[in-house]
Amino acid sequence: MSKVSYLKRYWQLYALLSLPMIYFFIFRYGPMYGVQIAFKDFNLFQGIGGSEWIGFDAFREVFNLREFYTALRNTFMLNFLDLLVSFPAPIILAIMLYEIKGVWFKKISQTILYIPHFISWVIIGGIVYQLFGNQSGMVNGVLEGLGLSPIPFLTEKGPWLVTYLFTGVWQSAGWGTILYLAALTGVNRELFEAAEVDGATRMKKIWYITLPSIKPTIVTLLILNLGKMVSIGFDRPYIIGNTAVREYSDVLSTFVYRVGLESGQYTLATVVGLFQAVVGLVFILGSNYISKKMTGNGII
Amino acid sequence: MTVNANQKVLKKALGVGLSAVMGMSLLAGCGSDSNGNTANGGSAVEGDNGKRVTLKVEVFDRGNSPAPHTITNNFLTQMVQERFGDPNNIDVEFVPVQRSEEVTKLNVLMASNTDVPDIVFTYDSSVFYRYAQQGGLTDVGAILDEHGPNLKKFLGEETLSYGQIDGKQLSIPGKRAVTGRYSSYIRQDWLDKLGLPVPTTTDELYTTLKAFKDKDPGGLGSKNIPMGMALAPAQFETLIYSFIKPVKGDLTYGQRYELPLHEGFKDAMQFLNKLYNEGLISKDFSLDEDKTQLGKDLNNGYVGYWSDDVGNLAYADGTLDVLYANVEGSKISAVDTYTNANVDNKHIKSRYASNGMYIMIPKSSKRAVEAVKYLDWMASDDNLVLMYSGVEGENYDLVDGIPVVKPDVSKEFADRLFNGGDMAIISNGKNFGDQELNQKAWISGFPERHKEILEQSYAIANTDTVGPIVFSKPIEAEPKYGTTLNDKLAVIMVKTAMAKPEQFDAVYEQEMKDFMSLGGTQLKEELEAALKDL
Repeated sequence: MSKVSYLKRYWQLYALLSLPMIYFFIFRYGPMYGVQIAFKDFNLFQGIGGSEWIGFDAFREVFNLREFYTALRNTFMLNFLDLLVSFPAPIILAIMLYEIKGVWFKKISQTILYIPHFISWVIIGGIVYQLFGNQSGMVNGVLEGLGLSPIPFLTEKGPWLVTYLFTGVWQSAGWGTILYLAALTGVNRELFEAAEVDGATRMKKIWYITLPSIKPTIVTLLILNLGKMVSIGFDRPYIIGNTAVREYSDVLSTFVYRVGLESGQYTLATVVGLFQAVVGLVFILGSNYISKKMTGNGII
Repeated sequence: MTVNANQKVLKKALGVGLSAVMGMSLLAGCGSDSNGNTANGGSAVEGDNGKRVTLKVEVFDRGNSPAPHTITNNFLTQMVQERFGDPNNIDVEFVPVQRSEEVTKLNVLMASNTDVPDIVFTYDSSVFYRYAQQGGLTDVGAILDEHGPNLKKFLGEETLSYGQIDGKQLSIPGKRAVTGRYSSYIRQDWLDKLGLPVPTTTDELYTTLKAFKDKDPGGLGSKNIPMGMALAPAQFETLIYSFIKPVKGDLTYGQRYELPLHEGFKDAMQFLNKLYNEGLISKDFSLDEDKTQLGKDLNNGYVGYWSDDVGNLAYADGTLDVLYANVEGSKISAVDTYTNANVDNKHIKSRYASNGMYIMIPKSSKRAVEAVKYLDWMASDDNLVLMYSGVEGENYDLVDGIPVVKPDVSKEFADRLFNGGDMAIISNGKNFGDQELNQKAWISGFPERHKEILEQSYAIANTDTVGPIVFSKPIEAEPKYGTTLNDKLAVIMVKTAMAKPEQFDAVYEQEMKDFMSLGGTQLKEELEAALKDL
């Protein structure tokens, strides 16, 4: 088939493909023009082109900032804890949903579990503060009513971490079940029937049938999550965090916001952003490599 | 089979994820791209050729617009258009900026260069210096001479000098009517119930707070808050100023984050620590940066004593009105309790500088002339009175040359002025000449029923005040480290207050070491050097 007739035949497909391509070039590659700010003494009013080159000076400054290392440590810490707590949550939830036999009840519970995903963090933050405040919080009000001492959910390291992690689970676990449930729909029902004939208990069926069938999904998602270790959303740590726990809640994204947008030191903020991107890339390639070695399946 | 299909989907999802990782962090770098525009900025004659032009003016949005008004279309914006815009062939467009994110938003606007309003402003001198330093502001000196005679007369040389750097008029500072800043308040009915006198020193205050806590005169149980506290200047500055030693008579370093550089700062933190650990202040003050919680607690009658911006409680339907309606028999008195042992036990508190906000015209603006004309219009005739007090006969009556709010003013008329103070940017408060008259005018803007407590509040706010030093040249460490140190100051206060008393010294030393290493040292050196040069 000649090239011309090939294009004539498939041009619709290429036209469709061009849309995401345009998106990537405009929103993903276009902004990379701004990366050079990291190597310039950026002046707000002269623009990127007009500012002077300063080489790696800004990098030196950032790597000398103690705050930067705190933010970096916190990013890893919060992401790692999130992986421990928030990663298994949707798996457990999906299995529980899968085991529910009543279709009506299953649908209702799924919808209810999805809803928090659509609530903005700003609103969740408001709810969390109303619930967990020391003096005015509802939970501590109940504790006090029972004669127990109040728990500083928001202002002390340990309790704050728990609050942070579990609001994350509450917000995202329901939504996270979707992929697992999709994987589970493909499991052959006959396997369960056979297991029942052999006298397997419900736990045994989950352990020997359900879990192995979603194993590839779990592994893939785990790799994805590992790759994101160094990047962290802005909303959650910014909103759930506060001055009292700043030492643990200040992460790279909030650090960039404070240094860049609040103090107007765009060069330093860009350096941190670039650093984050490079480390993120290393992580993703690394976990992909490990996965290829271990399972023979990579994602790139 | 399905599992495989799933993996394919995942592979694609991963691609998106990967580029998201790369792209997201690079967004930080997506700033302005508008080089070279600056060349044609600054000057402006284009508006005079008969073509209708648009003048964009920043306005603070506090999210409190009463229907049917909106922040960009209300009684005052219509008045501006009618009285200034139409006669001059100018469309005045207001650009709302959220009050609490003012500096952040302004940074973004300035970087965009094309979207930036022709008139912007900030209270933060560091922000003004930074823009000036980077050459982003129009020198309005000549334009002011030509188009702003009323404005110059209104502001006066002294106020204007706050906006000059190296002889260039890079900003037009607003004029502040009243420099009194803070007063403190106490629940008189609680004192009466316990048979206690009004506290007049810091020590007496402590005893009183203890009594509020132990004897619980309000019968509130765990809701009882002897002293209302928030992580906001009106609450902590008052406390800190009553411990620190001003560096130069009744003047001291003006920036909030320069408080830790004062002798006596540690004592202030120690006192705060004691109050917190003995349960005398709001337990959640560290979460309350915008005073929302404090406001609620005040309205509900949970708080015994607190400091606030002077007059803040006396607005119609403000704290006083709500509290008196909510709690029967409640009574608030203005008190001057904090005494400063470092300054002969005087009631040291901060006052404002005589300038208000820094009004700036970005260099990229092509409407500098119109901008000055607008400010000049505001300063002429009785336009400021209109912005602050509304329409004579409908909102106010003139008494001895001062507009006094009509006692029975309808909600419709009162709502017109919901953001009068934010629109009249050249004047912080009502300027009528001298402080006393200004103060009287200000008080007359409040409901008549609160006149007495307002007069007491102002007397207190003007007692033993300490003002900011104005250096002859900008302190370079301020724009550089200001925001970081301001954040750190909040951390110092929260951490030292919430530390166990026996750990206070260690926590304080550690936090101060951090403060100094984050730029505090450079700031201190520069300030001390500048102080010697004065």
